[in-house]
Amino acid sequence: MRALVTEPDERLLIEAAQRDSRHFAQLYENHFDRVYAFIAYRIRDRATAEDLTSEVFHQALAKIDQFEWRGLPFKAWLLRIASNAVHDHWRSPTHRREVPGDDLQEPRADDGTEQRAVIVQLLDRLPADQRLVVMRRLVDGRTVSEIARELQRTEGAIKQLQFRALQTLRSHLRSYHE
Amino acid sequence: MNSALYEQLDEVVDQILSGELVDSDEFDPIVQELLPFAKSLRILPRPEFRSALLADLVEPKVGEVIPIRSSVLPSLFVASAETYPVHRSNFAVSAALHAAALVLIATSSLWLANHPITRKVTPAVITNVSPFLPEAPTRTGGGGGGGDRDKIAASKGDAPRFAAQQITPPAIVVRNNDPKLAVDPTVIGPPSITLSKLGSTGDPLAGILGPASNGTGIGGGIGSGAGGGVGSGRGPGVGPGYGGGIGGGIYVVGGGVRAPRAIYDPDPQYTDEARKAHVQGVVLLWVVIGPDGRTHDVRVQRSLGMGLDEKAIEAVRNWKFEPATKDGQPVAVQVNVEVNFRLY
Repeated sequence: MRALVTEPDERLLIEAAQRDSRHFAQLYENHFDRVYAFIAYRIRDRATAEDLTSEVFHQALAKIDQFEWRGLPFKAWLLRIASNAVHDHWRSPTHRREVPGDDLQEPRADDGTEQRAVIVQLLDRLPADQRLVVMRRLVDGRTVSEIARELQRTEGAIKQLQFRALQTLRSHLRSYHE
Repeated sequence: MNSALYEQLDEVVDQILSGELVDSDEFDPIVQELLPFAKSLRILPRPEFRSALLADLVEPKVGEVIPIRSSVLPSLFVASAETYPVHRSNFAVSAALHAAALVLIATSSLWLANHPITRKVTPAVITNVSPFLPEAPTRTGGGGGGGDRDKIAASKGDAPRFAAQQITPPAIVVRNNDPKLAVDPTVIGPPSITLSKLGSTGDPLAGILGPASNGTGIGGGIGSGAGGGVGSGRGPGVGPGYGGGIGGGIYVVGGGVRAPRAIYDPDPQYTDEARKAHVQGVVLLWVVIGPDGRTHDVRVQRSLGMGLDEKAIEAVRNWKFEPATKDGQPVAVQVNVEVNFRLY
C-alpha cells in the first residue's frame, strides 16, 4: 500500500524474508497500516491494538517459513493471524463478556480495513500544520486550547486547521479511489 | 458559516475522544462526512510505535541468541524428515565423539611436547653379496711373498703347487739339502689353480730367469715380500697381495672366503647441517677388514655430503668385526659398507 507492490514482487520479498529475516522489514512496511487498522477497528483501544499488532508481526516473522504461496495473497495470511489474535484477545477471561459476534468471523475484504489503512497513509500528504493539529488533537487527545498555546495560534485557527485537515483527507481519499 | 462547521466538528471530536456514542444525525452533512476520518485517526498508533516494533522485529538485541531456523539445517531440526528420523541421542553421541577427539588431540599434543622427536640413525648395513658369486678359477685375491735376504732378486719360474695348507715354503735355492722330513713345498691357495709351467720353480712375476735366487724378502719363500709365499706380498700365497691366495690385492668375500661379521658397530652421528637440511641417504664405503677384525682402510665409494661422509668414516673406524676366514684362518677382506642416514 505504501508502494505499488505487485504479486511477483511480493513473492520475491517473501522468499527473501524466508532466507533472511532482515528482509522481513519491507513486508512489515507494506502491511503495517493494514494490520493495525484491522485490529484497531475491532479493539477500539490504542494500547491493546499496539500490543496485538506487535504480536501479529512477531508471529508472522516466526512462521514466515511456513508460508506457501497457494494463490492467497500475503495480506490474507497476515489478516488471518490478526483475526486469531483479536479472537484470542476477546476470548481471554478478562474480555469474555465483551466478545462481539462479528469479530469472530473470518476477516472480510470489504470490512473497511483497506480504507482505514489508506486514510492513515494519506495523513502523510497533509500540509505540516494541518497534520500537526490532527496528530495533537486526535492521536494525543489534547484540547484545542492546549494546542493553541503550543503553536501560539488562536483556538479558532486550530479548529479551522482541524476541519481543513479532515476535508483534505476526504478529497485525497476520493482521488486515491479514482 | 464555516466557523459553525469548525465548532460542530470540534464538538464531534470531543465526543469521540471521550468515548461517547456520537449521534451523527444532529450535525451538518459536511461534518457527518468527516466523522469516519476522525474516528479512524483517533485510534492511530503512537508515532514512535511503528519504528520501535520494526526495530524489535529485525534488529537482534545485544546478547540475544538468534535461533537457527529449520531452513538452515533442515535435517537437524525437522523431526519429520522423510529419509532419516532425527534422534536426539545422536546429538549426544556426536558431542561425545567430538569431545573425545578434542581430548585425544590435546593429550597427543601434550605428549609430543614432553617427548621431543629423537632423530634416530639406523645402524649401518654391510653389503655382503659375495656368497652369491661364483668361485674364481684363477684369482681369489690375496697373495704372498718371501725370500731369504738374498742380494739379488728372485728368478722367474713356476709357482709351487697350491694347497689348503703350507708345511714347507717354496725355495729356488735349497739351503737344506738333507731334510729329516721331506715335504713338497706349497703355497696357500685354491688347489684347483694351475699356472703355466716354465720347468723350474720361481716367481712367476719375476722379470729374469736367472741366476737362481730366493729373493730379497724375508721369512722363507721366494720373492721380495715376507711370509713364506711367492712374490712381493705378505703371506703364504702368490703375488703382490697378502694373506694367501693369488691375484694380488685383498681377499674378497666368496670363493671360500667367509664374510666378516660386525660385533661392535655404534651408530654414526648426524651433523647439524645435514639435520637442518633434512638430508637423508646412504654413504657407501669401501673397507678393508683385517685379520684382527678392525678396519684398516676406509674409502668413500658414494658420497652424501653435508659432513655425513666423515661421520660415517669416523663411525666405521671404531667398528670391530669377527674377521673373515679362509680355510678357517682369519684373512683380510675388502667389503662395501652401506651407512644409512635416516631422520625420523
